[in-house]
Amino acid sequence: MIRTLNIFLIVASLVMLTGVYALKFSIEGTAQERNALIAKISEQEGQLSLLKADWALLTQPGHIEPIIRRHEAVIGVVPVKQEQFGSFESLPMRPAKPDYAGMDALFQAISEGIDPIDAILQLEGIE
Amino acid sequence: MAIAEEGFPPTISLEGARKQRGSLTQARIRWMILGLVIGFGLVGARLVQLGMMETDQRIEGQTRDAITATRPPILDRNGLEMAVDIRVPSLFAEPRRIIDVEEAVQKLRTVLPNLDENWLRNRLTGDKGFVWVQRELTPQIQEQVMRLGIPGIDFITESKRFYPAMNEAAHILGSTNVDNQGIAGIERHMDTESVALLQELGLARGNALTPVELAVDMRVQHVLHDQMVDAMTRYQAIAAAGVMMDVHTGEIIALASVPDFNPNEPASALVKDTFNRITAGIFEPGSTFKTITIAGALDSGAVRITDQFDARYGIRFGRYTIDDFHGKHRILSLPEVYKYSSNIGTIRVMQAMGKDNFREFLSRMKFDERVEFELPEMRVPTVPTTLSEVGAATASFGHGLSISPLHLVTAYAAFVNGGNYIAPTIYKRDMAEAEQLYERVISEETSEAIRYLMRLNALEGSGSQMNKAAQGYRAGGKTGTAEKVVDGRYSSSKVTNFFASAFPLDNPRYAIVIMVDEPKAENPQSGTTAGWNAGAITGRLVQRVAPMLGVAPDFSEILDQQIVPRGLR
Repeated sequence: MIRTLNIFLIVASLVMLTGVYALKFSIEGTAQERNALIAKISEQEGQLSLLKADWALLTQPGHIEPIIRRHEAVIGVVPVKQEQFGSFESLPMRPAKPDYAGMDALFQAISEGIDPIDAILQLEGIE
Repeated sequence: MAIAEEGFPPTISLEGARKQRGSLTQARIRWMILGLVIGFGLVGARLVQLGMMETDQRIEGQTRDAITATRPPILDRNGLEMAVDIRVPSLFAEPRRIIDVEEAVQKLRTVLPNLDENWLRNRLTGDKGFVWVQRELTPQIQEQVMRLGIPGIDFITESKRFYPAMNEAAHILGSTNVDNQGIAGIERHMDTESVALLQELGLARGNALTPVELAVDMRVQHVLHDQMVDAMTRYQAIAAAGVMMDVHTGEIIALASVPDFNPNEPASALVKDTFNRITAGIFEPGSTFKTITIAGALDSGAVRITDQFDARYGIRFGRYTIDDFHGKHRILSLPEVYKYSSNIGTIRVMQAMGKDNFREFLSRMKFDERVEFELPEMRVPTVPTTLSEVGAATASFGHGLSISPLHLVTAYAAFVNGGNYIAPTIYKRDMAEAEQLYERVISEETSEAIRYLMRLNALEGSGSQMNKAAQGYRAGGKTGTAEKVVDGRYSSSKVTNFFASAFPLDNPRYAIVIMVDEPKAENPQSGTTAGWNAGAITGRLVQRVAPMLGVAPDFSEILDQQIVPRGLR
């Protein structure tokens, strides 16, 4: 009886020993993996910070202007002049409604066989 | 055995030898169990104790936090980066782990030849655990040093501040030292606010920090800086500076002062004359101050826009006679006093108001104190606390007192925005926040009159050079040519020129002050007075930045007629 119990206890302690060590090593492995990932993340963050800095440098107005100035003649750009600005208010308004009488006269003329455009084309010598 | 003998007299032996041995074993087992319980109890108690204990941060972990401490990125009002953190490798050594110092020194100097040999040898010798060798290197150098394979030499990644705009916003941003602490400009201000505390707690890590948004518009800042650099060569000036402010919110849209420095090389900030002339420079404002005198007089009610002033003769104060630069020597109306920049007329305006009222108005405009502003580089203006008759007379046209260009732009902003003083800020501020800070300094009507006078000066007076370039943007302002004091006397050849302006004056949005120090004539046909340089710069600046800021040109004359005060129509 005691002997069986002893064997059982020895086996149990061996199993637990193996289990605990396995757990320990797997945790160490995980920790290592985590450290590697942290190192990788920090390295990539570093690279990202350099790329961001690059981007910030390349999009600075102070960086772009000299490039534009250098190629001014080729791409044909000049600083904008006040006269080049317009506004919607300065556009002429659309006529309130179509010129029905004029259109009626035009359609009637075409149906009667007189095309006003023909006369202009003949006058200009096209055809 | 002893217990049994003592407990029971040997003469009477009731128990057999077998039983006696059995009870002895049981007693031993009990002792054993007790021993084990105590033993395990101790282990268990220790485990509980360990479990309760706060995990101690190792010194290495703490140092890492401190040196990779980051600063929040600084963005302009449109989200463009003005300052970012980059990760760079820094070289350190652990002298107690270095085996052959001489070899390490020789090898390191093949990659880093600029290190002094003796210095390096001293650095690496000894029993120290950690010394910096060189900080903030490039990844290429890191690669080369690693390839040398010297024991006890290693790299650690540090955060370094990078300013992609280089010199352009130098005086706004300031710079940071090698430990990533702000030493000037807004960087320093940020540290006094909150970042330093975060860094101390080791919390300022990673990119989690919220970006700081400034009111500055980098496009406008670029144009302004460009114009300042151009002014230095075009007019051979010794310095040029400019500031632009949103008149309603007090936001500083652009601020530049040349000569300047590159914030990426903090040492360049130590060069003489690179100080921020807008905030830390105080100058006699010259005729730009006439706007202030006239605004005060109009607001006090002592003078009306329709009044006439006798400017036929110079005004005598004892031995001195104050006369006009562009003398008309006749009776001038108030708009003419402003347009011709008449010193005599302005003194008469001031006298109508009374010198004590005039002095009181200067205090109301906060010319006695520093402007409330975030940048740490500020100077107190020098304005006499009491004005004598002659002192008040010279002060009325901007001599005998010194204020910073920031004071001037803040005053002009208050004059054109409807009369509300708003302290400038470098951070974003919206209308609702700004309105709570408003302090009324002049009335709405006075503000309207000042807008009219400034526009009039651009159309007919000394601002016409400015208006030539800025056609259609309804800009207007006042020139100021202040003679410098050389050997105790005012010199007519060395001048500091100002142009204080605002646009578009039918609905003002921005106020500008441009300063050019000791300019020379651009060509023989031009002059050295402010209109030719500071004025012309303002014109070119407005022409370029107005479209960026959403101000459309409008050539209709009706806009200029609308701002004429009722009394003059």
